[in-house]
Amino acid sequence: MMQILFNGLVTGMLVALPALAVALTFSVLRFANFAIGAMITAGAYLVYTLNVVLGLPLLVSGIVGAALAGALAAAIDLLVFRPLRDRSAVTLMVASMGVSFILENIVRFIAGNTPMGYDVALSRPWRWAGLRINVEQVQALAVCALALLVVWIIFRRSRLGRAMRAIADNAPLAATRGVSRQRVITATWVMSGVLAALSGTLIGLDATIDPQMGWLYALPAFAAAILGGLTHPLAAIPGALVMGVLSEAATLVLPSHYRIMVAFVLMSLLLILRPAGLFGTRWLTR
Amino acid sequence: MSAALTVRGLKAGYGGKPILHGIDLEVPAGSALTIVGPNGSGKSTLLKAVVGLVPAQAGEIRLGETPITHRDAPARSRLGLAYVPQEANIFRNMSVHENLRLGWEFHPAPQSRAPLARKIDEILELFPEIRPHLKTPAGVLSGGQRQMVAVASAMMLEPDLLVLDEPSAGLSPRNAGLLFGIIGRIRRTGLTLLMIEQNVQLGLAAADQGLVLVMGRVRRTAPAAELAADDTLAELFLSLDRPGAHTPDP
Amino acid sequence: MTSYLLSLLTIAVIAGVVGLALNIQWGMTGLVNFGLFGFYMVGAYACALLITQLGWAPWQAVLASIVITTVVCALVSLISLRLEDDYFAIVTLAFAESVKLIVNNEEWLTRGSIGIPGIPRPFPSDIGMLLFAMAGLALVFLAFETVSRSPLGRTARALRDDPLVAETVGKNVLGARLRLFALGGTALGIAGCLHAFYYQYIDPTQFNVAMTASAFMLVILAGRGSHRGVLLSSLTVVVLIEGTRFLDDAIPWFAPHQLAALRLILIGLALILLLIYKPEGFGREYRYLHGRGRATGRAAAPAARCRWD
Repeated sequence: MMQILFNGLVTGMLVALPALAVALTFSVLRFANFAIGAMITAGAYLVYTLNVVLGLPLLVSGIVGAALAGALAAAIDLLVFRPLRDRSAVTLMVASMGVSFILENIVRFIAGNTPMGYDVALSRPWRWAGLRINVEQVQALAVCALALLVVWIIFRRSRLGRAMRAIADNAPLAATRGVSRQRVITATWVMSGVLAALSGTLIGLDATIDPQMGWLYALPAFAAAILGGLTHPLAAIPGALVMGVLSEAATLVLPSHYRIMVAFVLMSLLLILRPAGLFGTRWLTR
Repeated sequence: MSAALTVRGLKAGYGGKPILHGIDLEVPAGSALTIVGPNGSGKSTLLKAVVGLVPAQAGEIRLGETPITHRDAPARSRLGLAYVPQEANIFRNMSVHENLRLGWEFHPAPQSRAPLARKIDEILELFPEIRPHLKTPAGVLSGGQRQMVAVASAMMLEPDLLVLDEPSAGLSPRNAGLLFGIIGRIRRTGLTLLMIEQNVQLGLAAADQGLVLVMGRVRRTAPAAELAADDTLAELFLSLDRPGAHTPDP
Repeated sequence: MTSYLLSLLTIAVIAGVVGLALNIQWGMTGLVNFGLFGFYMVGAYACALLITQLGWAPWQAVLASIVITTVVCALVSLISLRLEDDYFAIVTLAFAESVKLIVNNEEWLTRGSIGIPGIPRPFPSDIGMLLFAMAGLALVFLAFETVSRSPLGRTARALRDDPLVAETVGKNVLGARLRLFALGGTALGIAGCLHAFYYQYIDPTQFNVAMTASAFMLVILAGRGSHRGVLLSSLTVVVLIEGTRFLDDAIPWFAPHQLAALRLILIGLALILLLIYKPEGFGREYRYLHGRGRATGRAAAPAARCRWD
């Protein structure tokens, strides 16, 4: 039971990063970013290139890779979404589908379909208080917690965070108060890219990386963001933790490959019964 | 601290549809101009064009000596222009304190003059009603309180020109009177004021000059007292306020 | 060469049916069906399973799978119809991924990743297959054109362009959406059957998000709401995509998986470029073909730009 909880917590933390990215994009940019799966994959592969191809140590690869992923995300905004500024949410969604294709297939083009692994030493799991814990899980928990903390601080306590919340709340008014919408948008994309890359790397460390990996976490990420209710993007974090634990718990009754189904069912139930999510009030104006 | 606003030949609209057909106006430093006119004449569009939310398709806008026609809204606000729209004029999901802070945070000049806490204190002197609600999300407050927060946030910028779109809209007569009292006090600091008021009497009483806007064109500019006393003005509104001639203000 | 041409045309016809389905659901009614491939998959698998596992006759299987797909569509839309576009897209996508998961894993039902081989065609020859597919397309096209001109069609466009107004005027928003979405489902069922007959072998890997993206591209290219436009765009796109497959041999320096990836990159790129530069597509919607006299594409375009742009 505790094992389920622990594993669920780890999964939840891994989902929390892209879920937060999705929620922030939803909140500031007003659309569902379907490219998040591909961003996870691209981030993972960027780190792989640094780590395995260039031979850099994992920590350095992780940091540099995340930074590059942030830059990539900003580039995507510049090339694709700036020309589409002020278009409908549907147009942006469909465009993000296109971006997803391009990213994923660039990865496939360069790296092929075979799963690959990072250059890390193998380690044996520990036993602690009756739980089976391996190094990757601890790493995941630590990195995720740190990343989420940083985002929380930025979002709630910094000038950038206030600017983001202002744009999310009322973009024209924010403009008249001196907030540069473009800067906030770029910052949001960079944060998305970094979060996605971190998540992808941690997922890849636990297993392997392949061009499809992002999709496995994208849908739960959306479900978690919806679960959190989109008024307060940070609520995606507890949403993700709940999702993680529930999907692990579901493996008691369902085969493990059906974890995504849990996301779907939960999401559907939630949207029928309580569109406000567990924690939020429905976004009032769009 | 004061500046003039000059508008020459301004044409603006949405998409392909022009709403303003060549507007000329001038607001001398330290004075107040109220724009009146029937619904649908483009009053809000005019303010939005001045403030930078609607692009100018032709013409020129100057803040003092500085041309701002092609500057975006954040740039204009940094030049001392503050705006209070008619609707959606606060950040509903942020606290009153954060709303006020946002007015101040992106402007280097006010920041260099006083730290945030002192500036907020100063503003709350003018708007004592909102002091107890600093931590409350702004969207939860009553209509009158929200309007106060909106104007107070604009004042945090220490603007030279304050642009108000229907400040009394949705307010009870008492609250409207209160707000206009505050506006009067603000004016004594030398601030320039440009506003729209549907409540013609209140709006013209608070102003030095009045401008009548009809169908996107300036019908008349005159001292406010003169316009207020003019009977033909009421007729103008009545004749254009026929059912069917009513369109929501663009 | 003839068989190559025939197969190209058949694929174009099937794509046309899919395009028409999305056109009814999204082009006309504004329902962002990101889960398109899921319903298509249901149609294909239902048809294939009924014929190969239960020994039904092709006609029975086709009819049954159409019904099944329509019902599934209706059920999914019941969950999601009240939702706004983003949520609708997410839920339908999640549904499709779930379908794919189930098909992949429930081998006792669907033979899992092995797939279903040996699906017999109702008309064995290539030309027979093409004509059969064209008959399906014609049926769907006529039906949808009728709907476009009917009160339901007008409701659909009202829903797409101004749902609040439509609601206040008293139109039954949810009921109309359900019917229109389910209608699209019927077309998807037909398309799924055609897919099963054409390829004569289906497995889960044939159905993926790429299909959904291509369908969106078709509809955007066509000018949303224009059924005729969809026919034209599906022909063009399929010729372009499938037609370049024979170039694969002429490009020796890329491996097959790279060419496949390249093709998908081009789809993504085309989609984005379309959205940026030509969101209104090239066709014209029904209402502008009549009563505007010499309305050019340009004149129709600004009006065709609704809240979905």
